[in-house]
Amino acid sequence: MKKDIYIRRRPKSLTSVPTHYCAGCGHGIVHRLIAEVVDELGIREKTIGIAPVGCAVLAYFYFNFDVTEAAHGRCAAVATGIKRVLPDRIVFSYQGDGDLAAIGLAETLHAANRGENITVVFVNNTVYGMTGGQMAPTTLTGQKTATSPCGRDPVTMGPPLRMCELLNTLDRPYHIERVALDSPAGVRKAKAALLKAFRVQLENKGYSFVEILASCPTHQRVNPAQALKFVGEQMAAEFPPAVFREEGRVAHA
Amino acid sequence: MLERVLIAGSGGQGIIVTGKILASASTRTLPCVTFFPSYGAEVRGGTSNCQIVLSTNEIPCPVPSRVDSMIIMNQPSMDRYRKMLVHGGLMIVNATLCVSPAKMAGTIAVPATGMAERLGNIKAANMILLGVYAAHRKVIPAEHVEAEIRAAFSERDARLLSVNLEAFRAGLAYGRNR
Amino acid sequence: MRERILMMGNEAIAEAAIRAGCDAYYGYPITPQNEIGNYMARHMPERGRVFVQAESELAAINMVFGTAVAGKRAMTSSSSPGVSLKQEGISYLAGAELPAVIVNVQRGGPGLGNIAPSQSDYFQAVKGGGHGDYHQIVLAPDSVQEMYDLTMLAFELADRYRNPVMILADGRLGQMMEPVVFHEPRSSPPPKPWALTGAKGRKPNMIRSLLLGEGELERHNLRLQKKYARICRAEQRWEERNTADCDILMVAYGTCARIAKGCIASAATVGIMAGLFRPITLWPFPSEPLRRVASSAKCVLVIEMSAGQMLEDVRLALGGSTPTHFIGRMGGGVPDEDAVLQKLRSLVRSLRKRKSL
Repeated sequence: MKKDIYIRRRPKSLTSVPTHYCAGCGHGIVHRLIAEVVDELGIREKTIGIAPVGCAVLAYFYFNFDVTEAAHGRCAAVATGIKRVLPDRIVFSYQGDGDLAAIGLAETLHAANRGENITVVFVNNTVYGMTGGQMAPTTLTGQKTATSPCGRDPVTMGPPLRMCELLNTLDRPYHIERVALDSPAGVRKAKAALLKAFRVQLENKGYSFVEILASCPTHQRVNPAQALKFVGEQMAAEFPPAVFREEGRVAHA
Repeated sequence: MLERVLIAGSGGQGIIVTGKILASASTRTLPCVTFFPSYGAEVRGGTSNCQIVLSTNEIPCPVPSRVDSMIIMNQPSMDRYRKMLVHGGLMIVNATLCVSPAKMAGTIAVPATGMAERLGNIKAANMILLGVYAAHRKVIPAEHVEAEIRAAFSERDARLLSVNLEAFRAGLAYGRNR
Repeated sequence: MRERILMMGNEAIAEAAIRAGCDAYYGYPITPQNEIGNYMARHMPERGRVFVQAESELAAINMVFGTAVAGKRAMTSSSSPGVSLKQEGISYLAGAELPAVIVNVQRGGPGLGNIAPSQSDYFQAVKGGGHGDYHQIVLAPDSVQEMYDLTMLAFELADRYRNPVMILADGRLGQMMEPVVFHEPRSSPPPKPWALTGAKGRKPNMIRSLLLGEGELERHNLRLQKKYARICRAEQRWEERNTADCDILMVAYGTCARIAKGCIASAATVGIMAGLFRPITLWPFPSEPLRRVASSAKCVLVIEMSAGQMLEDVRLALGGSTPTHFIGRMGGGVPDEDAVLQKLRSLVRSLRKRKSL
């Protein structure tokens, strides 16, 4: 019952600035979930966020705590630079698929491999949104984008990159989880995953990574309702939601 | 006063450490000292050299094209660097490893590797040649060199330090008797 | 006399950074500056400070960005090809007005080049190697002692102006050893109310260089330019040698300035009156002082380990008022005293010829 009342007011960790996201976009939900988690853990005054380059570039306007920008792909390096000198603050990066899995893949992997005590929130919607719907590393095979107009051809463009599976090959990550924002149940699971991930950092256990499959009706080229279906069916088939790493141990390969 | 020194040989002969000891010892008394090593890919081929400049005045270039003294530890280094020596300069040569010690005036041939072997550590040949140098070029007091040898080797085992000190003293005696 | 310690230029930079209160060092190996990272790896952790060998120069400069965001002192070092990779990060630091120290121990280029000393990154350093209208403060040491002194100054200036500061050295200065006297910093870091430390008891702080509002970015740029003008007025540094009554004024920095210093004395023995103007800040370039000094000389000789990069700033400063000549080496070559002397001789001959006409 308490939760229902909660939905009607804004978390303290969100500002009142209206977001610029398209109708049906997953980013707004992820922002809210992060804000709720930060509130519930009582860490708003010691949280430092890192906004990416991509659709969430303006995240610093929406979060009501300290946020910095980072150059495209470099969030994990910036997070390392902050967390190493302020180990008692909670540092998280918020990144899209192009930022995290293409231009920033090296930083992503190496921060995870060092076991940096940070939280990485990875919003995967299979496309570059900000620049106009180009192919991302996570674009599905056959999916049409501005730069794969005939559909992604795995022979010349490579198949989609599965980040949770990739990170799960490393020794140091402590928590790796993938969730899908395709339904109210999915949203609840996403919040639980974020809560877990932030808690892992709060308890100084190490690197936590949450991949959130999200809708982008604008560039997934469907209406918002169909976009949720796209997330829950096509995306989830390629990127199965699961807890990959739990308490530092491989839970799902 | 200006003294330019070149030390050259093969990697593993302690060229760089010899140069650093000479430079550090000089720092105790001289206002201006530079040390410059060969570095990077250049030293991967097995040759090693360094240059030391000691002066009472500012040193414009730590890599002089001519030198007043050289300590040469193997044949390829002699072939390569002998022309850098100024007329009337001092050349100290490791005669054990140089088949044709230069017949130039001012050349002192020292069977350093052989002497070091008899002292119990073949790697101390560099300190023997440094001792000969200190005996001939009295720009730095021998006790300052000894202090720097202590500083360089004290963190390692005591035997290494004592053999290096012994080698330096043997070189000093060799140089003084010549 | 305070204790003089024989030290390598690269290590003097590292020691100075530690004494200046550098909280974190991030680097990626590249010759001829590896001794900086090696030294930091040994000495930062033992002081409870941060050393991370980054996965690339891109990561290193962005870790510096993160530490600067957190209000702490950070440094990275590299050599020419690696510094090219850092340019994006330096532009972001300048845009977000974050203090940071970047060391470039230059080597020959372009491309992978070689590992010999060079001064061919002058343009990149002083003209803004990254995108956008920005400047970093560029300090050019010419001795191991100055590697130490200017590194300490770099941290001070970076904090004072909230701006990246570069130490522009070269392989020779990095690799050579000379006696150094240590001194402690003149001041402690200033308060940084803008830093991201968690919004406790205050409104959230934000660090960004993205300014999308109507006219917002131009206003930001105008403010940056005002800051740069302030730096230009307050921070020009240079050294003069024998400039009062010289016929030929040499202009050189770093390793080339040392060569020129040697030439002053040897030129005097053959009756040539030569002096030296050595810029210590390459940005801001000491244009006005140079113009003043050069006005009494018959001609100027610029000496560089490049095709003539600082030469352009010298010509801009002099505006054609004094004939300006150049001697340079590239690709790791270093002008030697003999070559400079020969050039001085030929300049004197042509000066005399002109006089007799």
